[in-house]
Amino acid sequence: MAQESRQAWGSKLGIIMAVAGSAVGLGNFLRFPVQAAQNGGGAFMIPYFVALLLLGIPLMWIEWSLGRFGGGFGHGTAPGIFHSLRQKNRFIKYFGVIGIFGPLVILVYYTYIESWTLAYSFFALTGKYAGATTQAQLQSFLSAFQGLESNQYFNSLRTAYIFFLATFALNIFVLYHGIKGGIEKLCNVAMPALIIFGVLIAARVLMLGAPDPLKPGWNSLNGLGFLWNPDLTMLKDPKVWLAAAGQIFFTLSVGIGVILTYASYLKKTDDVTLSGLTAAGMNEFAEVIIGGSIVITAAFVFFGPSGAQEVAKSGSFNLGFVTMPAIFCRIPLTAVFGFLWFLMLFLAGVTSSVSLSQPAVAFLEDEFNLSRKKALAILTVVFFVLCQPAIFFLGKGVVDEMDFWGGTFCLVLFATIETILFTWVFGMDRAWEEMHHGAALRIPGAYKFIMRYVTPLFLIVILGSYLLSDNGRNRILMAGVPEENRPYVLGTRLLLLGVLSGLIILVNLAWRKRRAHPGQGGGK
Amino acid sequence: MNAGGWVFIILSWGFIILLCAYCLYKIFSKKKGLD
Repeated sequence: MAQESRQAWGSKLGIIMAVAGSAVGLGNFLRFPVQAAQNGGGAFMIPYFVALLLLGIPLMWIEWSLGRFGGGFGHGTAPGIFHSLRQKNRFIKYFGVIGIFGPLVILVYYTYIESWTLAYSFFALTGKYAGATTQAQLQSFLSAFQGLESNQYFNSLRTAYIFFLATFALNIFVLYHGIKGGIEKLCNVAMPALIIFGVLIAARVLMLGAPDPLKPGWNSLNGLGFLWNPDLTMLKDPKVWLAAAGQIFFTLSVGIGVILTYASYLKKTDDVTLSGLTAAGMNEFAEVIIGGSIVITAAFVFFGPSGAQEVAKSGSFNLGFVTMPAIFCRIPLTAVFGFLWFLMLFLAGVTSSVSLSQPAVAFLEDEFNLSRKKALAILTVVFFVLCQPAIFFLGKGVVDEMDFWGGTFCLVLFATIETILFTWVFGMDRAWEEMHHGAALRIPGAYKFIMRYVTPLFLIVILGSYLLSDNGRNRILMAGVPEENRPYVLGTRLLLLGVLSGLIILVNLAWRKRRAHPGQGGGK
Repeated sequence: MNAGGWVFIILSWGFIILLCAYCLYKIFSKKKGLD
């Protein structure tokens, strides 16, 4: 039976590290400081913590509990897990398709972006970008590296593609060694290393003082103040509350389907409440303490208040790949700190990308009874093929399109569905009992109300606001997409629709197979 | 940095550090679940 052959975590700390590794990604260091700086500074932390308590932590507990529950039936992905909640319902499993589709789509472009961090850590060590020291030069360097232009730095995508292949191979290598031998081992090393690198870089930034004696006000303390000084009037703006809720949602990796899969490898008696809270706490440490100390503070010290404002507006990628190298060029030990910065981002990336791969592998293993090698071989081919449009048509809006559907819309939709299924369809009393099996921490009773009413309502408001916002509406209607990019964006939509349809067919086939041969199916 | 900045940084960092310390203490001190 599949359940007997399913893999398992080696230790409690192992799965906590793995879930924290999945949650800690590039967004912790690049997206959070930009969001905070643009939405009230220190005051942003009020809606941020409200969202953490009412949305992030409840979703963590829901996903950990759902995953462990489904794992008990031999299911590691949302279709099977949802089916386990109400086995008489024939359609409930199809809602779970989003929990495989979402991570697969994110994986495709995330792995490519992750490969840039590997490349840049190499460039930092070898001094490849040392010739480019200004933000304009580093912008040209990045554009040429991405194949968007040809200049003195790069004239083809060859270098970027080599680093993509290396990153791709590393991900497959980790997945090949399984949950305990691959993912857990990686996260047990990468997470402490990432925290140490982050603390070292943050300490260096905070000790910069005022490097330019002519501008004593451009110092690290004022840089920290630029991000943290509160503008309480911003709290009247609903957009600030939505931005905080969105940040919490995306930073914790909830609504993807990854935590469901990781938690499915737990035993029925393993704790989920304390483990989920610990993983969330580790993510917040990386985001608020480390992420909130580095980029904006450093940008303020070297470029002043208006420069830091410009940098915050220029977006996360520019912050990571243009502004930070420009800053490291201005401090002693340029190569060391540049290397540590990009290696930290790479470790954050690789612990996230292996987690994004696991749902697809688990689906094939659990629902089709395939061996891990066969499941991984199928994922490798599909994953590699799907990555190609993201690499070669980056400048045509392909990645933005994938990010909207896979990385934004599906996340919020999936989280709303799983919350309603767990607390309303499965029932809050049974859900509460399920969460507390083997629990090392009793959840405060108020969370029964929060999980049943507040969390789903919060999610519906976020989903509605995305769809009704100019940004969401324009994205869906392709308004603002240049005429020459429209075929690529449409092609991406067709590709994503094809993947989604393929997954629906696979779920249908898996359950047909199970009905035809009851003893041979993966899960129960 | 103004006083408000200090207040928010101390409260935010303090909350997160205490949360992490509490969780890690519980993990390493507790051997069995509540059941």
